[in-house]
Amino acid sequence: MNQELPPPPVIELIKVSKFYPPDVEALSDISFAIDKGEIVYLTGMSGAGKTTLIRLISRMEKESQGMLDVAGFDLSKLNHRTIHLLRRKIGVAYQDFKLLPNRTVADNIAISMEVVYQKTSVIEARVRNLLEQLNLSKKYDTLTAELSSGEQQRVSIARAAANHPEILLADEPTGNLDAENTARVMSLFYQLNRQGCTLLIATHDKSLFRGHNRRVMELRGGRLLTTGHLFPGTQP
Amino acid sequence: MRFFTTLLLHTSRDLLLTWKSQLMTVFTVMLSVLIFSFFYLTYVNALHVGTEMGNDLRLVVYLDEDPPPPLQDEYRRRILKFDQVERIKFVNSQEAYQRFSKQLGSDSDVLSGVPDDFLPPSIEVYPLRSLDSLARIKRFSDYLETLPGVQKVLYGKEWIDHFHAFIQLMRIVIILSGFLLIMTSTFMVAYTIQLSLFSRVQKLELLRLVGATTNYIRMPFLIEGALLGLFGSTTGIAALYLLHRWIKLQFSGPTLFNLVPFTFLSWPTITGIVTAATLLCALGSFRATRPILHL
Ligand SMILES: Nc1ncnc2c1ncn2[C@@H]1O[C@H](COP(=O)(O)OP(=O)(O)O)[C@@H](O)[C@H]1O
Ligand SMILES: [Mg+2]
Repeated sequence: MNQELPPPPVIELIKVSKFYPPDVEALSDISFAIDKGEIVYLTGMSGAGKTTLIRLISRMEKESQGMLDVAGFDLSKLNHRTIHLLRRKIGVAYQDFKLLPNRTVADNIAISMEVVYQKTSVIEARVRNLLEQLNLSKKYDTLTAELSSGEQQRVSIARAAANHPEILLADEPTGNLDAENTARVMSLFYQLNRQGCTLLIATHDKSLFRGHNRRVMELRGGRLLTTGHLFPGTQP
Repeated sequence: MRFFTTLLLHTSRDLLLTWKSQLMTVFTVMLSVLIFSFFYLTYVNALHVGTEMGNDLRLVVYLDEDPPPPLQDEYRRRILKFDQVERIKFVNSQEAYQRFSKQLGSDSDVLSGVPDDFLPPSIEVYPLRSLDSLARIKRFSDYLETLPGVQKVLYGKEWIDHFHAFIQLMRIVIILSGFLLIMTSTFMVAYTIQLSLFSRVQKLELLRLVGATTNYIRMPFLIEGALLGLFGSTTGIAALYLLHRWIKLQFSGPTLFNLVPFTFLSWPTITGIVTAATLLCALGSFRATRPILHL
C-alpha cells in the first residue's frame, strides 16, 4: 500500500506491427518500454525497421496494430488538433535531415523554437550555443543547401535538441560524421541526458555503444531480438 | 506581441516566394471590384437623377363627382393603405375651374358662359420622393383606378416607366457583378493560396513535425488572403475614382451633370466594399488551407 509506484515509462510499445502494402512487414509484434532518463540504442542492419520504429513513435505514421504510449500520450487518440502537444515534447533528428534548403542554418534550427513562441534573444543564444558545440559556428548564416551532408546532419541534430525536448529520437545521427564530430554529437547527447532527456538512438554502427555500458535493442527483419539488455563491454 | 512579429515576418517572407501569382490575384480582385463598383456608382447616380426628376411628380385621380368629406376620408384611407405618400390634395370642380382660368390669364374670357363645374373633380397624390415609390408608380396608378368613382388616373410622364425598367436592369447587373466579385475573390484567392501552399509544402510539413499548431500554420495564409483582398479592392476603388474624375472632366460644361450632381461612392459604401472583398478573400484562403492541415 505505502509502496511508491514507479513512474510510468516515457515510451511504451505493446505488440506494435507496421505493414506496408502490398506485403512488407516492416515491424512485427514489437513490445518494449523506456524509462525517463534512459539512453537506449536501437541497432540492426539496414532495412531492419529502425526508421519505421522512429516514425511510429513520432506519429509520422500510424501503426497497423498494437498500442503506443509516448510522453504520456496514447498515440491512437491524437488528431490534427492535438498532435502538436506530442511533437513539442520530442525532438527528432531525421535520417534524411528534413532541412529547408533555401533557409540559413540558424533559421532551420530556430524553427522548432519559433513554433512555441520563444523570445528571439533566447532563440539566438540557444542556436549559437548549439552551433558552437557541434563545430558549426561559422555556418550560422549559410544556406543549408550549401552544406556538406555531415554538416547538414549536425544542423538537423541541433534542431532536434534546440527546444530541450523530453525525448530525443536520433536516426543514424553519426552516419555521415568523422570521429571528431561523432564525439561532439555524442557529448551533446550525454549533456541533454544529464538534463533529464530520454534518448533513443538508432544506428547500425555498433562502435557507438561498444565499450559503454548501455542498453541496446536489436532489430532484425522487423522483429525485436532483445528488448535491451545492457550491452556487455567488449575488449578494444 | 512576439506572436505577431513572428507571424508578420513569416507571412511577408512567404509572400515573396509566389509574387507573380499574388500579383495576378490582386489584379483580378481589382478588376472585379472595379466592375462591381462601377455599376454600383452608375446605379447610385441614376437614383439621384430619378429622385431629382421625380420632384414634381404627382398622380392625378379624376373622379366622377365631388366627394363629400366622409368619402374624402375613405379615399385617403384607401390611398394610404397602398403606400405612404407625401401629400394628398382634393381639388373640386370650382377649384379646377379657377386654376384653369388663371392659367389662361388674359385669355380667360373664353370661359365666359361655361359652367364652373365643367371640369371633373380630382385627387392629387404626391408620392414620396424615393426610388421605391417611383418604381411602384405604375402599380399605384393601376390600384387607384380600381377605387370606386374613379374615372381615370394620369401620372403623365412616360419616362418613369423607362426609368423603372432601367433601374431594374441595373439591379440585375449589380447582382451579377457582385456574384462575379464573390466568385473571383474566393476562387482566385483559393487558387493562389494553393500555389503558395505547394511552394511551401516542405516547410508546412516540417512545421507540423516540430509542433506547430493548426492556427500557427494557417494564420499566415489567412493574412495572405486578406491582404490580397485588401490590396485588390483598394486599388479597384482607386481605379474607379480615377474613372469617375475622367468622366466628370469629359462631360464638364453645360450638360446633364450641371443639373444633377455626379457623385462618388460614400465612405460607408467604400468601406463596405473593401471589407467585404477582404473577408471574401480570407474565406477563400481558409477553404484552401483545410486539406493540407490533415497531413
Ligand atoms: N513507405 C514504405 N513503403 C514500403 N516499404 C517501406 C516503407 N518504408 C520502409 N519500408 C520497408 O520497411 C523495411 C524497414 O525499413 P526502415 O525502417 O527504413 O529500415 P532501417 O531504417 O532499419 O534501415 C524495409 O524493408 C523497407 O523497404
Ligand atoms: Mg533507417
